[in-house]
Amino acid sequence: MIARLRTLWSRLIALVTGRRLDREFNEELATHLALLVNEGVRDGLSPDEARRAAIRRLGRPDVLLESHRAQRGIPLIGVLRQDLRYAIRTLARTPVFTLVVTVSLALGIGANTALFSLVDDLLLRSLPVPAPDRLVQVQQSAEFMGIRKPMPVYPPPLFDVVRANDQIVSEVVGFSRLDRPLIAIGGVIEPTREVDRVSSNFFRDLGVAFAAGRPPDQADGPVAVLGHRLWRDRFHGAADAIGQMIVVDNAPVPIVGVAAAGFSGLMLDSATDLWLSTPTPGALQMIARLAPGVTAARARAALQSVLPQPEGVPVPMDVELRPAGMGLSVLREQYERPLWALSVLVTVLLLITCTNIGSLLMVRSAGRRRELMVRVALGALRSRLLTYSLVESAVLGAIGGAGALVVAAGGVSLLLSMLPLPVAPQQLAFHVDMRVLAFTAGTALASALLFGLLPAWRMTKIEIDGALRSGRGETAPVRVRRLGRVLVASQVALSVILLVGAGLFLQTLRNLSTLDLGFDPDRLVQVLIDTRAAGYGRGKVSEVSRLLLERVGAVPGVESVTAVRNPLLRGAMSRGLVRLPGLDVGPDEAWDAADVGPEFFETMGIRIVNGRAFIASDFTHRAPALVVNEAWVRRYFPHDDPVARQIGIVGVVDNVRLAGVREEAGPTMFMPTQPEPDRINALEIRTIGDPRPVLPALRDTIRRINPRLLVGVSTMREEIDRGVARERIVAATSGFFGALGLVLVAVGIFGVASSTVAQRTNELGIRMALGATRQSVVGEALRETMWVSAAGLAVGLCAAFAAVQLAGSVIAGLLFGLTPTDALSLAGAAAVIVAVVAAACIGPARRATSIDPLTAIRHE
Amino acid sequence: METKLDILQGTLDLMVLQTLSTLGSLHGYGIARRIEQISGDRVILNQGTIYTSLVRLQQRGWIRSKWGVSEHNRRARYYAITKAGERQLAAQTQQWQRLAAVMGRVLAAGESKP
Repeated sequence: MIARLRTLWSRLIALVTGRRLDREFNEELATHLALLVNEGVRDGLSPDEARRAAIRRLGRPDVLLESHRAQRGIPLIGVLRQDLRYAIRTLARTPVFTLVVTVSLALGIGANTALFSLVDDLLLRSLPVPAPDRLVQVQQSAEFMGIRKPMPVYPPPLFDVVRANDQIVSEVVGFSRLDRPLIAIGGVIEPTREVDRVSSNFFRDLGVAFAAGRPPDQADGPVAVLGHRLWRDRFHGAADAIGQMIVVDNAPVPIVGVAAAGFSGLMLDSATDLWLSTPTPGALQMIARLAPGVTAARARAALQSVLPQPEGVPVPMDVELRPAGMGLSVLREQYERPLWALSVLVTVLLLITCTNIGSLLMVRSAGRRRELMVRVALGALRSRLLTYSLVESAVLGAIGGAGALVVAAGGVSLLLSMLPLPVAPQQLAFHVDMRVLAFTAGTALASALLFGLLPAWRMTKIEIDGALRSGRGETAPVRVRRLGRVLVASQVALSVILLVGAGLFLQTLRNLSTLDLGFDPDRLVQVLIDTRAAGYGRGKVSEVSRLLLERVGAVPGVESVTAVRNPLLRGAMSRGLVRLPGLDVGPDEAWDAADVGPEFFETMGIRIVNGRAFIASDFTHRAPALVVNEAWVRRYFPHDDPVARQIGIVGVVDNVRLAGVREEAGPTMFMPTQPEPDRINALEIRTIGDPRPVLPALRDTIRRINPRLLVGVSTMREEIDRGVARERIVAATSGFFGALGLVLVAVGIFGVASSTVAQRTNELGIRMALGATRQSVVGEALRETMWVSAAGLAVGLCAAFAAVQLAGSVIAGLLFGLTPTDALSLAGAAAVIVAVVAAACIGPARRATSIDPLTAIRHE
Repeated sequence: METKLDILQGTLDLMVLQTLSTLGSLHGYGIARRIEQISGDRVILNQGTIYTSLVRLQQRGWIRSKWGVSEHNRRARYYAITKAGERQLAAQTQQWQRLAAVMGRVLAAGESKP
């Protein structure tokens, strides 16, 4: 309000003073005219003649007032338009230069825009509902046998318990993702759609905007709300979708509304296509909006006292409030740190780009010194030259910024396609909105200022006579050269930082990919199945399991097959404790426990260190037969042979990474699957040759037994890739940045080295004529470039070392098998830089040695 | 026949500064007359253009102005050079002389060839 009043006030002032200035100027002109008339009359003219002559000599007052206003006001607009035209003409005359600059800018800014888009969508953007910052997910969790397990879903009565605390929470809603429901619209079965079951107050209390229809009411029976995308795809966005029936798992439900385009559910990683609102939703995840002014700590304490301890849980549960205002996302948890780390690298990349363009512009302006000189000599103001070169930079920045949007769109979809998800998350897809546009435009502008200002300022420091006198053979003024050297050194230093980062992440990926998992992942296929979802209860599982093993084992190309309770490398791990006679185990202790079927060790290719693997009788006899891993032996039998000394243990195997590639194998016990297991979730299959051709037959075989059994089929190599997807994305991205930085540095060094050689052709020619050797000429020509690169390298190594030390704790979590201050990464970065500098110098060095002394001297 | 000289942009500013530096405080008419006289009426001067120059110089802080009364009892704005203006004048004068010398040499060299 105050700001608006002040704006109005200053505009009024301008209006008033503008009139006053006009009046004063007219008065000034009138005086001038009067004096001219007096002069005419003195010279013997008639008053009329004198008046006409006076106007002729002074100029027409209205025209004068106009040009006075132009000078007094902001003459910049006209000047800028003129500069803009001139800049576009000039840039069009040097297409290669313009192309190099705009393409590198587009890449540099585009990489930043792509990362910004991801950071914005994943880490910054709130759900499009009122007061998102007060939304929390309420859940209880407890530490049980060494791992913290959450209890994510709550039945309706507990929602009421929480809702009763209206001092603490203002709204409580529930939702739960359905597991692969069958959806039919107009009798046609839909492809996989994401469906959330929600409490009937979900939309009203959350405050979701609607594109059509209405949000469900407490009074409604089961009703459906369409997601905007499904509405558009299947109903062509027509209003008559409201009232139609949609079939969810064989139950028809009427559609009452369509959520607005911006809202696609609470799960950020996979957009909701359809919401199913029922008065009796069953157990749901609990989302609460805290009352205004209530802190999370206070709410937590209050809810801790009202939420009851669940039955059958032996340890006390703690209430956790997790921020939900930005939606719930597993991707966010996994990618938050990598995204910030990559943001730093991408900023460094942009700095390199700007420095590089800055030095290119300087080299170019050195070539234009004479032209500029003449303009200065003819009275062009230095500030005008400055404006002009900034306009030129802005034009380059604008083109680069436009290209950046294209680069970013490609980059984001490439990165998303690398995510280990069946479908790339729609919410993270690149879209141009105001925030992305503002970021890109801002970055382009900042870059243009950065790379344009220094050379522009240098350019205006031109000495007229020196420049006019200087011939072709003369080197640029010392100050300009010094600035050029600083720019090249900074490029080298910055790209060292980039390379060290890339090196750390690439080594991490290599360490993870070449890790000994304890089993042989080649020719191995993992089939995920779900006996429970397919309807096999206890007592039925063993039967279907036998059928599966028999049929899959008969598929051509299959060598052996085994069934396991938990799939491998999927983070699922049971914990357990078997009381063994004579073994002293603490009260809170537990170890990883794996239920495995017959032929598990043989199929997986796990090395037996001691004793034996399971035999058929272990699965039928009640006598305990257990296999442990080496970590277990180290922990409980460090000095003894457990197979010989411990009843029950029949064998010892290698440490096997079961839960995930990154998870070090802890003490683990393998137990034979019980005769009647409650579920089987995976088959592990060893193939005779390449596993990929066998996959379709495996799928068919399992579907024929029961179409609902199959969850997914993938080779173990694919599973490993999925497990290191994050590291792969980070390594690929930082590697790309590093490579791009190197190209820019190579261009920069090449430019500086070849312009040095070109400028010193004359002098080098004389040296050669006087008998200098080729080596000494090359040394002389490139010494400066070498020194500058070495300085940049030294500074860059120090900066990189300091950076990884400072950010050590952040980076360390992203690394595997090495420390942030890894010597190989530092040394590797240095070696790569040295190689690139050397490569960039080959051309100029050749030119230096091929100088013909006679031509060179005549050159002057 | 000797033609009259067009004024180069920037040159007029320098002339105005020089005039004010020599004669002290003057109004627009006085400055214009002085430049015409000194140049022996060889410079075409649309006297009004002097005002654009005056605004420009004032914006840069090289001259300042205040209202006074002219010889015929009319209100007139009087301009005077500032310290910064004097410095600018010195620098520009030197530059002009150097440029003129160089241009002279360059053009002389050009004339000696057919």
